[in-house]
Amino acid sequence: MKTYFTKFSIIAILIGLFVSTNSIAQNDEVKSYKFLYKFNTTKQEDNSRLLEVSFIAQHKKDRKNKVPVFEAEINFYNTTDEDDILLGTVKTDKDGFARLILPESQSYITDIDDYINIKAVFEKTEAIKSYKRSVAIKDIFFDLQLKEIDSVKTAIFKAFTLDSLKIQVPAPEMDVVFSVGGMISKMPIEEATVEDGEYEFEFPTDIRGDAKGNVDVFVFLEDHDDFGNVIHKKNINWGTSLKQNVISENTLWSEAAPLWMYIVLTILLLGVWANYIYSIIHLFKIKKEGKELELATEIEIENNQE
Amino acid sequence: MDVTKRKRELVEEFSPLMSKTTKTSKIWMIFLGIVILVGLYAFVLQFMKGHIVTGMRDNVVWGVYIINFIFFVCLSYSGAFIGGILHFFKTPWKNSVARIVEIITVLSLIIGPIFILLCIGRLDRLHYLFMYPRIQSPITWDIIAIMTDLIGCFIYLYLTFIPDFAILRDNSEKMPKWRQKTYKYLAIGYQDTTSQRERLHKITKTMSVMIIALAIIAYSVLAWIFSLTLQPGWNSSIFAPYFIIAGLYSGVAVIIISMYLIRKFYNLDHYIRKVHFIGAGVILLVMSLLYGYFTFSEYFARWFSHKTHDVNLLDTLFTRYFWEFIFANYIGILVPIVILFFKKFRTIKSITIAAIIAVLGLWLNRYLIVVPTLETPYLPIQDTREEFIHYSATWVEWSLSFAGVAAFILFFILIMKLVPIIPMSGIIDNERNGKNLKEKRTNNSN
Repeated sequence: MKTYFTKFSIIAILIGLFVSTNSIAQNDEVKSYKFLYKFNTTKQEDNSRLLEVSFIAQHKKDRKNKVPVFEAEINFYNTTDEDDILLGTVKTDKDGFARLILPESQSYITDIDDYINIKAVFEKTEAIKSYKRSVAIKDIFFDLQLKEIDSVKTAIFKAFTLDSLKIQVPAPEMDVVFSVGGMISKMPIEEATVEDGEYEFEFPTDIRGDAKGNVDVFVFLEDHDDFGNVIHKKNINWGTSLKQNVISENTLWSEAAPLWMYIVLTILLLGVWANYIYSIIHLFKIKKEGKELELATEIEIENNQE
Repeated sequence: MDVTKRKRELVEEFSPLMSKTTKTSKIWMIFLGIVILVGLYAFVLQFMKGHIVTGMRDNVVWGVYIINFIFFVCLSYSGAFIGGILHFFKTPWKNSVARIVEIITVLSLIIGPIFILLCIGRLDRLHYLFMYPRIQSPITWDIIAIMTDLIGCFIYLYLTFIPDFAILRDNSEKMPKWRQKTYKYLAIGYQDTTSQRERLHKITKTMSVMIIALAIIAYSVLAWIFSLTLQPGWNSSIFAPYFIIAGLYSGVAVIIISMYLIRKFYNLDHYIRKVHFIGAGVILLVMSLLYGYFTFSEYFARWFSHKTHDVNLLDTLFTRYFWEFIFANYIGILVPIVILFFKKFRTIKSITIAAIIAVLGLWLNRYLIVVPTLETPYLPIQDTREEFIHYSATWVEWSLSFAGVAAFILFFILIMKLVPIIPMSGIIDNERNGKNLKEKRTNNSN
């Protein structure tokens, strides 16, 4: 009896070892997730406009558990009082982003206050309900002049809107950031409040550029109530050139041989040729002595004959 | 000792060798001339039609020409090396072999580079090598080394010839006028005075040291042409010393063969004696042991490292080139060792046979260094013809190779017509030194 008990106890323990105490059934039902649907717009450096929707499902309990909604069809509309004009339809990518770029030439219908109303709509499906977000922005134009004034590298920034007659109207007060492009991120060089649509500052002289000294200068306006996000970019040869430290390698295709090779070869050749010249000089001396001897012998013979 | 009388005696002794041409000699010279003419015809053909008349193709871009080049150039370097050593250390029996060695040095250094020219597909662009040299390229180093060495060898050879030219000038009354004029011009007024003799000895000794150093550098550069590439079978750190040893091995062997032929055809038994053969044989034995050791190290390291391309190369050597490999690396090394190791085998004939086997083995060894490596490239060329991958020399290449050997022998014979093969000045110096030594001993005993 005792033996049976021991035997079954061991089996029970062994089975127990295979049971994980923290394992639960996978619960991936759509109901367990809430959906984060965000929409924003950015006026880009080439004056095109980026419409971007981020569509992410977040687990209600485990907030770190985020799943991008893939292949969700997003319709972008320019909304007016009367009608919605479809600007384009884009599906979300594997990261849950749907991006639509509208060219500079794109015409928008504005409301009475000159706002462009854009709407991003996700239509209801069997699993997910419909989502809709809107933004209202005014169009704005940036102009960045990079000039040397009295040998001082100066950045002159202008921000303006256009009225119905296409006349420039200085933009209202706003906070912008001036940055320079880098390999990984952009480095701010000036944070400024633009008043009367203009701002001017001295450009730093110690900014690293590329191999030729070219540097990208950016102006950022972020989350503005009226204008949304705006990026402007200009390229100028004001950076210090970033020369690559090229290690001189001994390759068949390298332009010149390493210096030590020239030195060694020169020493060797000079040594050898110096020896050759030394030998030849001595040969001439032998020849000279021979001639003198010959002459002396001839004179002696002549004297003897006399 | 009446030096003037002794000089006259020596000129009378060697004159027949220089002025008279035997029937056998004439036949030989005609035969060699024909071989050279066939070679010239082959060269014209190659020049007109290009490398298509050779066995060299896209994969195997080097063939027997480069092997002959290495062989002759190595022969020259080893000649210079041995000549320099003989002169610098005043080896007792140097007089009998010194001139043979010096002639071998210069002739092989003239003939060797001709073979590298034959490897060049576009000879019309040859001057680019000098117009646009790349100092970082081993080929440029080799050109500089060969040219510098050639000039050095010429100077050295000339220095050793001057006393004999002077002896011949002073005793050439019975010789044709052109000979008298030539000897007078080449002797540059050398009268064998004490100051002239000392001066000449000094510069010859300096040049002999320079020649040894140059030979080592030039040998190494030649080896680097191969070993500085990453090709399997070539990329080796011991290639430079390996080439030096191999060159000395072939050099000593060719000297023995030359000694045998000169001794036999010119009846110089009393100058080139058995003791010279035994001495050279012992040097050949040492060289064969060293050469065998280097060969074993080279192949053993490749086999043991087990790198894919090295294994492929060794497979090729043991299959496609099995007999060549056996002859080059077993028979070509072990047979000379066996012959030369045992005293009772050391006869003039057997030493010469050992030398012939060594020369043939070494030539094949060079072939196995060059061709199988090129036949097993890192990147195989696809969709190419079989004859483009595997190399076999054509009659054009063989006839040019034999023409090179024939030219070497013919020029050797012609130089022997100009100056005695045994330096007369050396004989006089030896007799003079022997007499001085005898006098010293007599004085000491008194």
